[in-house]
Amino acid sequence: MKLKVYADRMSQPSRAILIFCKVNGIDFEEIHIELSKRQQLSPEFQAINPFKKVPAIVDGRFNLFERYPADVSRKAKIHAVLDWHHLNLRRGAAGFVLNTVLAPLLGLPLNKEAAAEAEKVLTSSLSTIENIWLKGDGQYLLGGFRPSIADLSLVCEIMQLQLLDEKEHDRILGPHKKVQTWIASTRNATKPHFDEVHNVLYKLKLRLSLKQSSQADGERKSGIKGPIISKM
Amino acid sequence: MIGKLKVYADRMSQPCRAVLIFCRLNGIDFEEIKVDISKRHHLSLEFTEVNPLQKVPAILHGNLNLFESHAILVYLSSAFPGIADHWYPTDVFKRAKVNSVLDWHHSNLRYGEVNYVSNTVLGPALGRPRNPKAAAEAETVLLSSLSKLENIWLNGDGRFLLGSFQPSIADLSLVCELTQLEVLDETDRSRILSPYKKVLGWIEDTRTATNPHFEEMHNILYRAKKKFQQQRSRIAESGTETSNKMGRHSKM
Repeated sequence: MKLKVYADRMSQPSRAILIFCKVNGIDFEEIHIELSKRQQLSPEFQAINPFKKVPAIVDGRFNLFERYPADVSRKAKIHAVLDWHHLNLRRGAAGFVLNTVLAPLLGLPLNKEAAAEAEKVLTSSLSTIENIWLKGDGQYLLGGFRPSIADLSLVCEIMQLQLLDEKEHDRILGPHKKVQTWIASTRNATKPHFDEVHNVLYKLKLRLSLKQSSQADGERKSGIKGPIISKM
Repeated sequence: MIGKLKVYADRMSQPCRAVLIFCRLNGIDFEEIKVDISKRHHLSLEFTEVNPLQKVPAILHGNLNLFESHAILVYLSSAFPGIADHWYPTDVFKRAKVNSVLDWHHSNLRYGEVNYVSNTVLGPALGRPRNPKAAAEAETVLLSSLSKLENIWLNGDGRFLLGSFQPSIADLSLVCELTQLEVLDETDRSRILSPYKKVLGWIEDTRTATNPHFEEMHNILYRAKKKFQQQRSRIAESGTETSNKMGRHSKM
């Protein structure tokens, strides 16, 4: 039975899995679970993943829901990055984007306090990547000369920051030169699949920036400042 | 020949205990180096060289320095001979499932538990103000995680996670996390845990499977539990809250 990948390309971890499969020529069927339409809550999907989250895969007999160097030490170091990621980069990046840009789109209230907290975690995590995880001879995490699943997972997470407006994005990422180079290297190493899988995100980014400019035009014409809530 | 394994740990830390118990249980030859968090040893220059992220546990094994407890447990399972397969199965599917619990743990059980205990007991003991809002939020995550353990992760024929008949590193990691709830006041702890019968049974089973090492590594936690209980009774008797007093007398 062909591998099935249940994914929403708006989800950072979903993108990492899809890119990995494509880059490695894994034969699979992508099944779109649209989070904005709450499809993850359907009984059919719940049977695949009782946690109702993407990504999830079905491979042969088993349901599994959550290229690997053979060298045990190197593998262990990659695990360490993957472990660190959950409560650091992911928590910071996802929390920040949610509480500044995505919440209004999902009909949720903006939470300035949560955004500030998330920004702290995000900035600290980017610093850690810049100064610790990207130390070494190679351009990838842990001084690697080739990307690992950790590179793919973390870069897909950072890509979500594309949804921020240009100024915010530059303010947050600007100070981290190594991080920027590393993102470009990882993108390059996994093309054309990287950009293809990120298309959904790029399209949303475009829509958001168009909305932002028409909002700004509208405010200029009417002379009235828009409500604080609308960042779009 | 690789040098002896060094494990940098503070037994008050849940992930440290999991690593120490694993080593003892499996007869791994190692040296335990105490890093006292309450004395801020983790911020020292020497320890920062071992782990630039300044957290425990961390290990040194020959040229490898490694941190993040799950990565350590996985490494130890693979790097030492004679470790029974059930700890981290070689079967790709089974291993992947164990990995998924380990992944889920960070932002769920661990996040809920750490923040709840920190905002109700450990924080105030270190002189930090109580934060009822943060405690309430953490409790929501903790209860949701316990519910998922009860209804999803503990489904199956065996008594351990993923329906297994023997414990894996995931059982060890998560049960060490839950044991931290011992420092809560009895009523609170009971209120939180008692609805989850399978979880309670599983905690017992994991303890039994890993004794006497489990009890030994948790001794310091039980002593801290006693101290907190005594402090709580003193406060109840005196009728006032004296946070300064708690800070000075606290073993934390």
